[in-house]
Amino acid sequence: MRLKVFRHRQGMSEPRYDTFEMEAAPGMTVLSALFKIQEEFDDSLAFRYSCRGAVCGSCAMLINKVPRLACRTQLMPLLAGEQEISLSGYPAIGGPVSWDPKEDVLVEPLPHLPVICDLVVDMTRFFAFYRDIDPVFSPLDPDPEKERLMDPSDVRELELYTNCILCGACFAACPVDAKNPRFSGPAALASLYRFCIDPREGRRIERLKTADTPDGWWGCEFHANCRQVCPRGVPPIVAIGQARQEIKKQRKEGEEM
Amino acid sequence: MNVDEPVIHTHDVLIIGGGLTGLRAALSVFYAGLDGAVLSKVHPLRSHSVAAQGGMNASLANVPGEGSVPDSWEMHAYDTVKGSDYLADQDAVALMCREASATVRELEHMGMVWSRLDSGRIAQRPFGGAGFPRTCYAADRTGHNALHTLYQQVIARQIPVYEEFFATSLIVADGRCTGCTAIEIMTGKMHGFSARATLLATGGFGRVYSRSTNALINTGDGQALAFVAGAPLKDMEFVQFHPTSLFGTNILITEGARGEGGMLLNREGERFMERYAPESLDLAPRDVVARAIETEIAEGRGFEGGYVHLDLRHLGADRIRERLPGIRQIAIDFAGVDPIEEPVPIQPGQHYAMGGIDVGLDGAASLPGLYAAGECACISVHGANRLGGNSLLETVVFGRLVADAIVRDLPQYTVPQGDDAERAVSREDRRIDDILKKRGGEKAFSVKKELKDIMFSRFGIFRNAGDMEAGLTAITRLQDRFRTVSLSNSERGVNQALVRYLELEGMLILAEVVARGALARKESRGSHTRADYPKRDDDRFLAHTIASMSERGIEISFRPVSLGMFSPKERAY
Ligand SMILES: Cc1cc2nc3c(=O)[nH]c(=O)nc-3n(C[C@H](O)[C@H](O)[C@H](O)COP(=O)(O)OP(=O)(O)OC[C@H]3O[C@@H](n4cnc5c(N)ncnc54)[C@H](O)[C@@H]3O)c2cc1C
Ligand code: SF4
Ligand code: FES
Repeated sequence: MRLKVFRHRQGMSEPRYDTFEMEAAPGMTVLSALFKIQEEFDDSLAFRYSCRGAVCGSCAMLINKVPRLACRTQLMPLLAGEQEISLSGYPAIGGPVSWDPKEDVLVEPLPHLPVICDLVVDMTRFFAFYRDIDPVFSPLDPDPEKERLMDPSDVRELELYTNCILCGACFAACPVDAKNPRFSGPAALASLYRFCIDPREGRRIERLKTADTPDGWWGCEFHANCRQVCPRGVPPIVAIGQARQEIKKQRKEGEEM
Repeated sequence: MNVDEPVIHTHDVLIIGGGLTGLRAALSVFYAGLDGAVLSKVHPLRSHSVAAQGGMNASLANVPGEGSVPDSWEMHAYDTVKGSDYLADQDAVALMCREASATVRELEHMGMVWSRLDSGRIAQRPFGGAGFPRTCYAADRTGHNALHTLYQQVIARQIPVYEEFFATSLIVADGRCTGCTAIEIMTGKMHGFSARATLLATGGFGRVYSRSTNALINTGDGQALAFVAGAPLKDMEFVQFHPTSLFGTNILITEGARGEGGMLLNREGERFMERYAPESLDLAPRDVVARAIETEIAEGRGFEGGYVHLDLRHLGADRIRERLPGIRQIAIDFAGVDPIEEPVPIQPGQHYAMGGIDVGLDGAASLPGLYAAGECACISVHGANRLGGNSLLETVVFGRLVADAIVRDLPQYTVPQGDDAERAVSREDRRIDDILKKRGGEKAFSVKKELKDIMFSRFGIFRNAGDMEAGLTAITRLQDRFRTVSLSNSERGVNQALVRYLELEGMLILAEVVARGALARKESRGSHTRADYPKRDDDRFLAHTIASMSERGIEISFRPVSLGMFSPKERAY
């Protein structure tokens, strides 16, 4: 098989694709293939990594035109066509690249974020949206002596969203983020929703309203790419839908009062 | 190459490391009204702490034990000391266990989502070596939930975080540590960080071993930085092997899986722990279970390739989905096995470093101005073997307490004067240029691979003098070969080969420290198991191993353990 890898660093007038031939051993992931390249063929190849176990969120990249974690994506199933995900309304990035899905695995940086070097992108904008939602627990009541009590079923719903590892895959897969640079994006909105449904949180309604804007809850066009690509099973689209419902309900109650 | 002016950042307190320890410490420095900053070679959320699965111990007593007595910090301390094979310092253990409940609750008050009991209280599960169900958990993503919570607290306070800065040396002037130099990975520029006090919170060194459950970035940089700067290391030969890492990638399968009822089976389908730990079975402490599995494999009762089975099927699909969702996903993604349908193939893997930078109860290293906490430090709460769930606890408890100690000590440290930081930056700049200019010779990767294999085979679960002597000779040979290693990439910016080179340099030093400590300790205790000295020897070795750097090389000495409430007994489970 061949790994076709996007290359770009400062000083290069335009990106190029390098092709590396290798044997795909069973279980071999894209991340281990990238390490193999770095160690044996070209030590200038740049990509982020840390946990190699799909928990830290470092290694999201575009693999066969789908944002995925490199450490969790195995080569053989990709070549066998088993991991196809078709994304909606999604403009492919960069120039025309030809690749043969039976022989090649195409590896490119996450779109919608500036490339620093090869597969490493500048995540500043992604994290700025996260910061903007003020992701910090703010209870109204003073801390009790022991823990605040929580219903196990509330925890289960919260966990859907606290599972987010901020990898950016959904942000890269979102057609709205591609055309609207102000749209908060699925991950930030999912994180915001996490605070809106935490029974211990003091500013739930207020928080819900902070994204009651065209670039917040209302920016989403329900392409559902976020949910499809999320490696942690987070459903930002569900959060957004429920938040909209809640806001409509609030408005109605406001009118009735 | 670097013609522009050196950039020096000045803070009261510099925290190197953005894992649980570093972030918790940053909050305390902030609460004290001081200017603290965090520096990390990866974005803080990518720190290894995020991977911790099973939980954090605290004697909340939310879940009753088997007897009528409720859990208490004293029982927690007893289990910890016994688990440590009596090598832990009992004053440090008492401090940690006493602070445990407040620490778990503090995280809850910061908004961390813990799993809950029907009563609404924080859920607790049984963990190896513990007399009570004491491990508080957030499904099997405890580290993730804790780290994200602390990160949120840190960004809310706009505490400066230098992300993707790799610390290359500590600045030492007049016998005092006054900060560090660090290369900004994305640009390749060397920066100076000048601080009145510096806290190392850089985590473990698992990646010195092949077959490790640790993140790829756990290369022990902080221990090496401290050691080279003149601060001794302690108990470095005590390396924990986790019994259950996934065959192939060695990704951890949490002890929580056995806490929930998972059973270990050999090739004959036998529940072999019945022979090794008739009382606590699969939940005996890690060192006991890891040795049992290795013995099964060595005696031909493992599967081809060297693994045994962890069977969860009897727990049923619902319980697996609810309590161990992360583990199920890992087994599916990385071994192609769904634990609901098939047993999971596992083998022991390096997991945790009990040893680290030698610090006192306040976290101070012997070099003034330098402190350490978390896995990179050895305040000695784990002794010869750490109990599961005690390390996350250590990071948050001592992240706080050591930062408090720094705040207390700070008046005695003046703002560093003079141009020591500038000089250190130019020295490190030249060093990097020299590395980038090297040509020919070997590739770093082959040296690294050999090192890891030597560590696993010679300084692994079972050790003996002959193997270890051979291992030490091989390590020193690798240190020689390393001098000829060169990189092809000679760019300054985004040069990961350079980062890897700098990590490997430190790993080769730490490997030698582990080796010399293991050879000097002629007994078996906790994780350190010697076939040639199978018994614990309290007369000679109820003592910490101290490794220091002298002109003659690495020297080993011993320092007595601080005992207390519990006197050493034989450890039976
Ligand atoms: C898979 C796994 C599961 C675990 N599960 C549990 C559990 O359930 N319960 C438990 O109690 N313990 C568990 N542990 C142990 C526990 O997770 C760790 O001991 C703990 O998280 C270490 O935290 P730390 O803050 O000391 O360091 P880390 O979280 O490792 O952070 C180190 C920080 O230092 C930075 N750093 C390192 N070197 C440099 C450098 N040269 N320059 C700049 N920055 C640097 C890194 O970027 C990082 O931010 C587990 C360990 C593993 C491997
Ligand atoms: S929601 Fe999923 S895809 Fe998006 S950042 Fe979080 S973990 Fe990644
Ligand atoms: S390396 Fe951590 S998610 Fe892939």
